[in-house]
Parts: sequence; structure tokens; C-alpha cells
Amino acid sequence: MFRTLLSIFVTAALIACLSVWEMHYVQTTFAEFHSILETLYDKTEAQNATSEDGDAVLTYWKTKKEILHVWLPHTALQEVDFQLNEAVGFLRTQDYPGALPKIETVLGISESIPRGYTFGIENIF
Amino acid sequence: MGIIFVRTVIIFITLLIIMRLMGKRQIGEMQPYELVITLIIADLACIPMADNSIPLLYGVVAILTVYLLHQIVCFIDLNFMQAKAVISGNASVVLNKNGIDDTQLKKNNLDVSDLVENLRVEGYFALDGIEYALYESEGTFSALPKKNYQELQTSLPVIILDEGKFDKKNLQQTKKDEGYFSEVLKKQGCKDLKKVLIMTVDGNGKVYFQEKGKKYKVFYLPWEEALW
Repeated sequence: MFRTLLSIFVTAALIACLSVWEMHYVQTTFAEFHSILETLYDKTEAQNATSEDGDAVLTYWKTKKEILHVWLPHTALQEVDFQLNEAVGFLRTQDYPGALPKIETVLGISESIPRGYTFGIENIF
Repeated sequence: MGIIFVRTVIIFITLLIIMRLMGKRQIGEMQPYELVITLIIADLACIPMADNSIPLLYGVVAILTVYLLHQIVCFIDLNFMQAKAVISGNASVVLNKNGIDDTQLKKNNLDVSDLVENLRVEGYFALDGIEYALYESEGTFSALPKKNYQELQTSLPVIILDEGKFDKKNLQQTKKDEGYFSEVLKKQGCKDLKKVLIMTVDGNGKVYFQEKGKKYKVFYLPWEEALW
């Protein structure tokens, strides 16, 4: 009986810890990423964003993405990859009107992904 | 390819550890919840194993959750008798001193031939030689034979009438027709064949006969020699 109770407690604790860690990591990472993207968006709108700014965001994303792959479906992360790479490509050619909608799309994704990992009826069902 | 290989190895090791912790028994002896877990766990393991876009952790956490549920159910099963009856079910007495209990058979979605067949698998051929037979919660049959069982099992009994219907193949073996057995049953006071739950006859002419809701009867047919 002790062994059963212990295994129940340990498994429940492990799952709870993983859930909390996952939720916390996803929320904080995307919150940080969102604020970095907002800065890039503002600079692009003002037409003074450089390719270095774009590369910095891309490098940040690539570092975070490695750990995010543990928690999130890889297809969701690929979508950010595609849109962000396109945006950085536009910035390299200083095509600001072309880069803005791409950054906006990534901003939208970075808001919707963490929303999908909060405890709520819409996410459970 | 390499990724799928590593993912499969991880899932396999996780499953193996979980199965060992569960103390799995043979598939045929599973409790209902164990079968449910086995069915679920196979799918949970396969989906993240084969689909690269799903984090492996999804499969591992789902399997861990199933393990947690299994342990909780095991705990309830061992410590709370009433809950055990709900989760695992109870054994049913399908054959008692009065003969076959067709109400219990129906409750368990069984018919008379299922009972006879499963008792044969357990090594009991003569229904009149069995004191009690139980249908266990994990789907197997247990029987308590009478002390003189070996004397009662004189030959191989075959089913002649199964819930009011003649078994034509077995009739041929006896070299008698439906009319012969209908006449025999009439002499035993059975006017309606539809009310017959079971009638078996063995090679020496020993008949086991039971009407629905009544006690069984055993009698011998006046056969001059053993037919099989």
C-alpha cells in the first residue's frame, strides 16, 4: 500500500511539476519574444530597422526555439520560422512595407501559442 | 530516420518500465480497467513515436498519466470492496445445485453453449457432475466438481437442444430424429420445447435436461449399446 501511494504521489508530482514548468516557460519566453518583436515592428514602421536588428531577433528566436521544441508541436514553431525569416529577408532589402505584415503575423502567433497552453475549458475540449 | 529510431527507443523504454511497474499479467486474465489501459497505451505510444511534429514529451506525459490512473484504480481496488465491485465487477454463479442459471448467463451476455464450451475448456464435460460454476470478473470460468465427478462423466455429452433449438449435427451423431427426442421430453413432462434450456446426451444415453427456471433432471435413454 505504501508503495502504491508513493508511486501515485511521485507520478502526480512529476506531472504537476512538468505542467507548471511548461506553462511558465512557454508564457515567459513568448512574452519576451513578443516585446522584442514589438520593438522591431516599431523600428520597421519608422523605417529605421536594419538587417542587424532582424538578425538579432532571428538569433534570439533560434536559441529559444531549441527548448520550445520540447513543449510545443513542431509545426507551430515552423510557422514562426517561415514568417520571421521572410520578415528579415525584407529588412535586408529595406523593403519595410513588405516586412511589416510578416512581423505582424509573427506577433499574432506569439500571442496565440501561449494562449493555447493555459488551463482553460477552450484548451481542454 | 535516425530521429524516429531514437524516439521509438525512448517510448519503448518508457513503456517497458511502466508495464513492469504495473505488474502486467497475461492478457486473458486482465481486469476491465487493465484492458482499457492496454488499449489506450498502445495508441499513446504510437502517435508521438511516428509523428515528428509532436513533442515526444506528449507521449511520455500521457503514458505517465495512464500509469497514475492505473495506480489510483489499483489502490481503490485493493482497499475499497464496494468500489472494487464497480470497477472490476463480481463473479457470477452461472451453474448451481439446481442447474444452469440462465438469468445470470443473460446478465453476462452469455448463452448456454458458451457455458458448456468454457466448462469443457476447464476440463468438465458432465454438467450434472458440477456443483457450482462461476463466471469470474476477468472473463474466465471456474468450476467446483462434485466428489464423484469421475463416476458421472461416463462419456462425451453433446448438446441436442439448445434454448429450444435442435442441434442438427449432434442429432445425426445420435442416429435419432427430432421426433424421438420430443417424445422423450414429453414423457418427462415437458410439453413446450421452447422452454427447454438445455438437453445433452452422452454416448451411453445419459440425458441432462433442464427447463427454464426449473431444476435439471438426469435420466437414461433405453439404448442397447453405447453409441460413441
